[in-house]
Amino acid sequence: MIAITILGLSLFSTLSPAQDVRDVAKQTSLPSLPKDMPSWIESTGADHLFYKAAPYNWSINRIPKFARDMYATGVGHAMAYEALVRGQAPTLETKTFDSINWVLNHAPRLPVDEGAISPTFMRRYGYLEKVFDWAHLLHFQTIDTFSYPGWTDEQKEAEIERLWAFYSSQPYAITGLPMNMDYLDSFLYSGKFRTDYPKVNGLFWGYHWLQTVNYDMLYRVPVRDHAPQYEVLGERYHETELYKTDRDFMPMTAEMSPRFARRFPQIANAFDNLHMLHDNVNDILAQPSLSESQKQEQVKIAIYRVLASSHKDEKPGEGAENTLHDHRHPPSMPGMGWMKGSEEDIMWMSGMGWMDMSECSHCSISMPEGNPWGATVSAEGWTMMVRCLMCARDMAGETPGRAIIRASTNDPNRLLVLISDEEGNWTTNIKEVVFLEKFGEHPECSGWSRAFTTIGALERYVAANPEFKDTKPLKLAEWAALNHGTPDTYRKIDKPNPYKSGGGVPPPVSKGGRT
Amino acid sequence: MRKLAATIALGAVLATVAVGQSDHNNIDAGRPLRFDDASSIAFRERALEIGLSLSTFRRTAPTYGLRAEYKVGFAKNQDIGITFDPRIGGGDRRLDLGNVEIAYFNALSREINDSPALAYRVELGLPTGRGSRGVDAKLRGIATRALGQYDKLHLNLDIDVASDPHPDERRVAFGAILGYSRPIGYPRRFDQTMVAEFAVQQGRTKGEGYVGTVGLGLRCQMDPRSVFDIGIESDIMSTGRATKSPFRFAIGYSVGF
Repeated sequence: MIAITILGLSLFSTLSPAQDVRDVAKQTSLPSLPKDMPSWIESTGADHLFYKAAPYNWSINRIPKFARDMYATGVGHAMAYEALVRGQAPTLETKTFDSINWVLNHAPRLPVDEGAISPTFMRRYGYLEKVFDWAHLLHFQTIDTFSYPGWTDEQKEAEIERLWAFYSSQPYAITGLPMNMDYLDSFLYSGKFRTDYPKVNGLFWGYHWLQTVNYDMLYRVPVRDHAPQYEVLGERYHETELYKTDRDFMPMTAEMSPRFARRFPQIANAFDNLHMLHDNVNDILAQPSLSESQKQEQVKIAIYRVLASSHKDEKPGEGAENTLHDHRHPPSMPGMGWMKGSEEDIMWMSGMGWMDMSECSHCSISMPEGNPWGATVSAEGWTMMVRCLMCARDMAGETPGRAIIRASTNDPNRLLVLISDEEGNWTTNIKEVVFLEKFGEHPECSGWSRAFTTIGALERYVAANPEFKDTKPLKLAEWAALNHGTPDTYRKIDKPNPYKSGGGVPPPVSKGGRT
Repeated sequence: MRKLAATIALGAVLATVAVGQSDHNNIDAGRPLRFDDASSIAFRERALEIGLSLSTFRRTAPTYGLRAEYKVGFAKNQDIGITFDPRIGGGDRRLDLGNVEIAYFNALSREINDSPALAYRVELGLPTGRGSRGVDAKLRGIATRALGQYDKLHLNLDIDVASDPHPDERRVAFGAILGYSRPIGYPRRFDQTMVAEFAVQQGRTKGEGYVGTVGLGLRCQMDPRSVFDIGIESDIMSTGRATKSPFRFAIGYSVGF
């Protein structure tokens, strides 16, 4: 009977094969497989891994619209990869785009099984799915942790560290080191997908925006204040971010969630490296001049580049410049790799131009060290760090559309969340919030522009700082009515867009990061 | 019967408060049909699968069953489980606790290019059921492969061996199942899988021939952790003196945690 079983299984395996894509001429100048490729890539097992058991799992469902939008992101790459490996590239911008777009706009109520949506792709690139699946679990579990109402911020932060250790324990883990994004995007095939399929690539980068912008929405923000913020971000996502085809580069975690990226740089880097791997794979699969075996090999090399095991014992801020092992980062942002044209803290941000991450985005004065960290402003798809509430308000006021301000208060455990409507009317998550604002020199603004959770807290601050004894405490409406415009300290960095000046120009040699 | 229903209800309530994930695409024997796909549960996952069954016969009273399996993914691609399968009904309408089964599942390989996913499952049935004796062993070879894009075929080949058969029982019996699964609703819905099967099983009693069975079922994702299933089977042909069940009904709930 055993022989019959084996015979039966063998016959079964000879059933008609799935559709193949046609082979094309081989290229000769592609990178070759490194000698130390990890052995698991050749493993024939499915190797499914379960997530860390914890009480917070699936807490994302506490923000239903956000949860559904996140679940919908599972279909995008899966549908596109399936179409590409089945030779349906010509209809990617039409039929596949429509299918993905429909799901993104009619988001499922449950997570989707990406492997089941892309069975042909899975049969050929199952090893890649192990990397993606494992990183996607980290994505969801970190979100679940922040969305869980049962723990304090400190408990959540400790758990995020444990999640990172749990994630890192598997061989499929992506490195948490900052990587040179310009290097990772410099291969023969790089840019192919975004050039040939701008609409679908726009969807991908649009939901990478969602997958990264959410962390500052959640991090150290009271759980009850998550959903109101998502009303703003979700609207922006569906109306604009999904359909942008003019981004210079994929959204980076530190651009979208700078507070989270500073606190958990290894996770921010891992997400960016994951998204870069997605881009590499998109480009490889979209390159018609590569044969199937070349695509297989190049995907394996792309995986190798971002695996933690390929960068063992390497450190952030170190490594040979403009190479695979270039782990420089902007000195003030350890949660972001080196970008095209970057110089120290100065980098090009799509939609914002050149920005200095060590400075307030509104007044160009250096950000204070440590706490209070000031505030962030989210508007028009970007999130910027500012020194104080005045800069936050005035920057939001200069920007059309709705905005979110997240600001520190006198209480390190109570974060102020202000949300504006289209007309600039603000709502607050702290009813009794009261503001101190005595306009003065910008370098000291974090002293004279502050928010307090109660009038009593403000009075104690004034008692300790008598220079404010004649300053009238402001209620939200009074504070919101003020506007000091663009500060005279603001310094616009006037340089050309590095993504529009030839593309192949290597990034400048610069120290950057910790050395 | 009331106790049975209450037990199922309690099981369902317990299952819904657990934390984990079950997948409507991952098909296990009994939930709701007889075949397995060649995929184990995930490493570190625990799963509880509970189901109620009703089997009708032409000459005897129907049988009601409650099947509960607890599984642990103790290593990559491998799980172990224990199954309780009490039944009530039949000719004497007495409760039979059924054999307790201990199972080991090993997913040897995933589908790669045109090669099917391969797995095997070994079950040992302990003689805890009424009138049981000896240990019953079952070896199942499993292959899963795509048919077209989303359709999948699942071939299960079984050998049942009784270590201490009754005088009128076979020591060895054979069976084969060809299963089929297809997600329903793509590319707009992603939470349901239709399953169907054609099974041929040799009767355990000497002189019984083979029984041919067809089945149809549905697996629905209820939430991120759990799956509801429902299925019907009918014995449509037999040889020798094999007893046919014209209608079997199964309903179940699986949860991963």
